[in-house]
Amino acid sequence: MKQILLIFICALFSTLTLAQESFTISGYMRDAKSGETLIGANVFDETNPDQGTSTNTYGFYSLTLPQGKHILTFSYLGYQDKKYDIILDKNISLNVEMSEGVLIDEVVISAEKEERRKNVEGTQMGTIALPVENIKLLPAIFGEVDLLKAIQLLPGVLSSGEGNAGFYVRGGGPDQNLVLLDEALVYNAGHMLGFFSVFNSDAIKNTTLIKGGMPANYGGRLSSVLDIQMKDGNDKSYAVEGGIGIVSSRLTVQGPIVKNKSSFIVSGRRTYVLDLIQPALKGSSFEGTNYYFYDLNTKWNYVFSDKNRLFFSGYFGRDVLTFRQPTRDFYFDLPYGNKTATLRWNHLFNEKHFMNISAVYNDYKFEFDGGQDEFSFKLFSGVKDWNLKADFEYYQSNIHTFKYGANLTHHTLTPNTASAVLDDVEFSTQFKPKYAIEGALYFLDDIKLSQSFSINAGMRLSTFSQIGPYTSKLTSKTFGDFEFVKTYFTPEPRLSVNWKLNHNNSVKAGVSRTAQYLHLVSNSSSTLPADLWVPSTEIVKPQKGIQYALGYFRNFYKDMYETSIEVYYKDLYNQIDYADNYVNDISKEVEDAFVFGKGRAYGAELFIKKTTGKLNGWFGYTLSRSERSFEDIENGRWYPAVYDRTHDLSLVLNYKPAPKWDFGMVFIYGTGKLFTPVHGFFIVEQNINLFYGPRNSARLDAYHRLDISATYTPKANKERKFKGSWTFSVYNTYNRKNPFFVNFDIDTNTNTGESQITGSKITIFPIIPSITYNFKWNQK
Amino acid sequence: MESKISLKLAWLAIIFAVLQSCEEPYLPSIPESTPQIVVEGYVEAGDSDQPVIVVLTKSIPYLSKVSSDVLAASFIQGATVQVNDQEKDVVLTEICLNDLPEEERKQALALLGITGDSIAYNICVYVDILDQIDRKIGGKYDLSVKIGDTLLTATTTIPQLVPLENFLWEMPPGKPNDTLAQLKVTINDPANQNDFYRYLTASQGGNLIPPLTSVTDDVLFDGQRFEFPLSKAEDRNADFDPDTFGYFLRNDSVSIKWCTIDKAHFDFWNTRDNAANSGGPFSSYTRIATNIKGGQGIWGGYAVNFYRLKVPEK
Repeated sequence: MKQILLIFICALFSTLTLAQESFTISGYMRDAKSGETLIGANVFDETNPDQGTSTNTYGFYSLTLPQGKHILTFSYLGYQDKKYDIILDKNISLNVEMSEGVLIDEVVISAEKEERRKNVEGTQMGTIALPVENIKLLPAIFGEVDLLKAIQLLPGVLSSGEGNAGFYVRGGGPDQNLVLLDEALVYNAGHMLGFFSVFNSDAIKNTTLIKGGMPANYGGRLSSVLDIQMKDGNDKSYAVEGGIGIVSSRLTVQGPIVKNKSSFIVSGRRTYVLDLIQPALKGSSFEGTNYYFYDLNTKWNYVFSDKNRLFFSGYFGRDVLTFRQPTRDFYFDLPYGNKTATLRWNHLFNEKHFMNISAVYNDYKFEFDGGQDEFSFKLFSGVKDWNLKADFEYYQSNIHTFKYGANLTHHTLTPNTASAVLDDVEFSTQFKPKYAIEGALYFLDDIKLSQSFSINAGMRLSTFSQIGPYTSKLTSKTFGDFEFVKTYFTPEPRLSVNWKLNHNNSVKAGVSRTAQYLHLVSNSSSTLPADLWVPSTEIVKPQKGIQYALGYFRNFYKDMYETSIEVYYKDLYNQIDYADNYVNDISKEVEDAFVFGKGRAYGAELFIKKTTGKLNGWFGYTLSRSERSFEDIENGRWYPAVYDRTHDLSLVLNYKPAPKWDFGMVFIYGTGKLFTPVHGFFIVEQNINLFYGPRNSARLDAYHRLDISATYTPKANKERKFKGSWTFSVYNTYNRKNPFFVNFDIDTNTNTGESQITGSKITIFPIIPSITYNFKWNQK
Repeated sequence: MESKISLKLAWLAIIFAVLQSCEEPYLPSIPESTPQIVVEGYVEAGDSDQPVIVVLTKSIPYLSKVSSDVLAASFIQGATVQVNDQEKDVVLTEICLNDLPEEERKQALALLGITGDSIAYNICVYVDILDQIDRKIGGKYDLSVKIGDTLLTATTTIPQLVPLENFLWEMPPGKPNDTLAQLKVTINDPANQNDFYRYLTASQGGNLIPPLTSVTDDVLFDGQRFEFPLSKAEDRNADFDPDTFGYFLRNDSVSIKWCTIDKAHFDFWNTRDNAANSGGPFSSYTRIATNIKGGQGIWGGYAVNFYRLKVPEK
């Protein structure tokens, strides 16, 4: 530790001395047509390409160079490069507008090339950015473009089930992923039991997945970060975009409020499959039953000056299930969904020092309201957060960047609050919401110690306090408002290093410690909307993890191919599960049914990506193991976690032979999902009861599938305001019968002695062709 | 107009294709497992004449088809089964039904809740033939089972009786119906103690059977007096009819066995009901809880309130 500190101090000193004869050029990079800021765009000194940087999440860059003449190149994937001859004799503010285009191949290639160098040169491991435009080219089930399903195609990321948007990263649980939408935490990222994600791709600008070596500015989850940025809205002219699909339709409108200063975007999506079968339900026992979901995204921003910009973004989504059985006077409504709002202020202290302050509100609610005759029943659970965070970035020099910040969140977690009324008698669970305050301070230093050695070191100090009002279950002591019940504190050091062997090769290594204070424990094979988020309390301890990763990164054929091999090992502590004989009972608090244990996960990931040419795409392969051990489950036996899949392979290809046509293909192969098999049965009270073998000791058949798509844009080349395109896609092209789950049925007559147990394999998605019409008006 | 209709038809075709899932037989390769010893034993007090009875079986390995031979072979014979009622030890007598004279066999089958004639295999049970065990409210009973060198033990209690009151027959909610009736009963739950309930019903001349969810605790209604609808138990193997489920037939003769049980006994049925009712894509398995040390199953005490009712005509 002392040595690391010493290196820092030396580095700091050396960069400070360097900075004496240097000046800084800084500003924002934007799309020329829409004014949308560009994330991760590059700027570098052409005479010395090692002197470069890229824009942050807000499109801001700051590059410090020695005094003198420089040729600066600004580049971004899919855009034309821009070059500036600059005489640097003072600090310069320069906002750059980039035009989309493929006018000169060479130019675009140089932009992409710079992007690809990050594979070898960046310190960050296990980080993959997926621009939403790339995701839109992939085949999608029912034609519904889904960001979370695209993420699942990356090595180290597994789908939680057939057609499901839930994902597991490097052997971690679904609650261990930090999913952020414009900095607001999304507690349930799935619609319709997780078959669709809540992210409407038309409203999304950029997605970054960090699956290992989480930098210190992120925290609160063990496994990964999925950081999603919404579009800011076009501040130059009005634009409309939309699509009509089998399952849902979408519409996005954006435009300036004050030209070049302020803009808005509003985007909506709604499903209608069951609306269409309403006539068929008329007169049946279930007349009036319906289900749909919708999303609304919006964002507004105002540029006060080059130094100050204000953003407001919001998301509102709901799933609504209404069940009606008029023949029995029985009904229930089941609405659930997320609500988020983020207010952000970007401020520049000077050309090197950037600040973002965010106030975030988010809310996830699950409700059930049903009844029959004189009986009615209500159930409510949810999470509500108020979050204030300040993030600072200081671009000391081109080889040295600091980030530091603080984060404070107030959580309100409402457990299953149930109430029932029968005639005039009322019953209710007496559970009170639980309150907590989560705080973090972090410091992160990205420094290039030499031409071949870079280091990214950080420390996050996180704390979590359960606060009152609360009555202790252990001591019966009563705590008042904001009185501290139990406090946890975790230092979370993070370190990653890059040792560049030569121009095309590098070795990276990282270690990161993470803590997680909110938990979602599911008793089902998939996460369901009714699953509860619970806080760390006097009973439930925070989950902790430590991950070690090592990787070899290499680019081939003039950076045309990016490749990497990463290996990782994780230790997980205070993992939470339910015991084998857990019965879901809304009259009991779930934390009282938890059992606590430990976990470990390890694996190797191979990634080969071709980024240029008419044919591009990637191949990913993961070999991994994830295990858990709980004292209260089979006496601590190490068993494979439900997130364990030995082999996972994906091949993703895009082919664009002509401007009018885009073809996509996805092939997936994965070892079968684990389940707990029936080993036998016994008879009690004349009924057969199944007797289960060890937990997760059997696997379903291997999963594999091929999806293809073709997008036809009839007037692709024409400069016209309105553009339409047709996307044809086929899910599960060769109609593979992938088992979704195995069901055991008992058919018995104990009087005659005849019994039969039948196991059946249930497949839900056969070959599914779909067609979607997308249109754009005045949009790139 | 025509295109609208064809579009609608296309939608319906697509929806049909999507909603139609595919099911195929599945025979998983499952490793051999050693059979477990399963105890099913009850001690009842209150409105019950049933002597203490214990059935011992071996769990049956997963097979796609189970014949009567397999079931017959699952009964464990030659065990020493002993019950202590805190005053004395009583060794239960092993009886195999096929050894009994026809009349006694029928009586025994009725006692076990099995409609007689069709039973194709021999049932062997251990019974307190002379009803020596003091079956009483508030009693505590220790069971020990010795099979060769294997010893299984369990303890159960019989809690206080909590009766049902005010039997009301009402018209089922929803569409008017002349042939069905909903039963409403009242309970006065004792305050400040954990109570656990289980019930079984018999209707249309059948045996007593438990409903799909046969147990409840009083967490939500501790100490309250309230009226609630009591559903008719439906045969697990019968087809589910959403319109008649849980209602009694008018003019039928109905029996209700309403019991208070202890926590461990509740846990067994609670996990068992849950295991039997769950299934499907998202549910996990439930391992059935047991109070038998060294085996599976249940040694359960029942405080029984028994009611015979006639469902009135409309």
